[in-house]
Amino acid sequence: MSSSLAPECSEKKERYDTCFIKWYSEKYLRGEGSTNECEGLFKEYKSCLDAALKQKGIHSMIEEARKTSPNNDNAKGLK
Amino acid sequence: MVKFYENSFSYDYQWPAVTLAYFLRYPNPYSKHVVSSDTLSSHLDSRTGNLHVTRLHLKRGKLPASVARFLPKIKESYILEKSIVDVKNQRLETETRNLDWEGVLSVVESQVYTPGSDSTTSEPEAATGAGKTDVRTIVRFESRLGGAARNTQSDGLAGEEVRGGWFSNWTTGSVQRSVELVGMRRMREGFGRRREGMKVVLEQLRETGFVGVIREQRQGGWERWKQVWRGEGVERMDD
Repeated sequence: MSSSLAPECSEKKERYDTCFIKWYSEKYLRGEGSTNECEGLFKEYKSCLDAALKQKGIHSMIEEARKTSPNNDNAKGLK
Repeated sequence: MVKFYENSFSYDYQWPAVTLAYFLRYPNPYSKHVVSSDTLSSHLDSRTGNLHVTRLHLKRGKLPASVARFLPKIKESYILEKSIVDVKNQRLETETRNLDWEGVLSVVESQVYTPGSDSTTSEPEAATGAGKTDVRTIVRFESRLGGAARNTQSDGLAGEEVRGGWFSNWTTGSVQRSVELVGMRRMREGFGRRREGMKVVLEQLRETGFVGVIREQRQGGWERWKQVWRGEGVERMDD
């Protein structure tokens, strides 16, 4: 598992990552992943991470990049 | 000034394993420069069944001198990675872009992972769990020194190729060229390392499954393992 940008979120991240990888390999890849079971763990991790991103000023940089992406999710879907 | 670099490659593993390794690829013995890796969003589209994941990686590394002249303070950079997994059609699309030196050199890498064209036809291979995964990569470079940043939205990443000379009005040509050359060279070096990193994760996945990979990553046991596997060390990992 890779570390989090925010050390205080590492534990939450690890719990989420482990859940995600398990869900991805055992359910999603087998066509059984109709819901993402790790949502609850993600919310916990995300609220910790968001606070850290805002504090470091990275938040706005990400938002800006998302807007100008040449491969925008909305503009280009999967074929 | 926009440049494209294209590359095709095949992994000797099936598509599901390669996509799993993609999400699990940090840390590995070739990624010491990757400081952290966080998931910003993960969304399952209920209509299409596609999985959308956005991650933020922090990479450490000194910039080469020619670029550092313009950005002396940057010792690390943020990489935004977006991935879309279409499990029904076995297609993984990824896009990674550098965030914080975009003013000088924007690098956007797009990859498409699909099952290898020969992996479905050969039955013995499928039976033994072999098979291949093709990766098509397009990297788009744009240096913006001395010129206005151009809207990249309409350029169209796939299909359309823009070679040198497309823009005739750029003024600081030699500087831009050197920045781009450095970017290109580093990108080529990076390709090799990332590929090796993916292979290490894939190999470990095959042997011990993702539980083993996670355990190894947590314990930092990659070094030990890498030496056994390759019988050699990796010297340069600082960029």
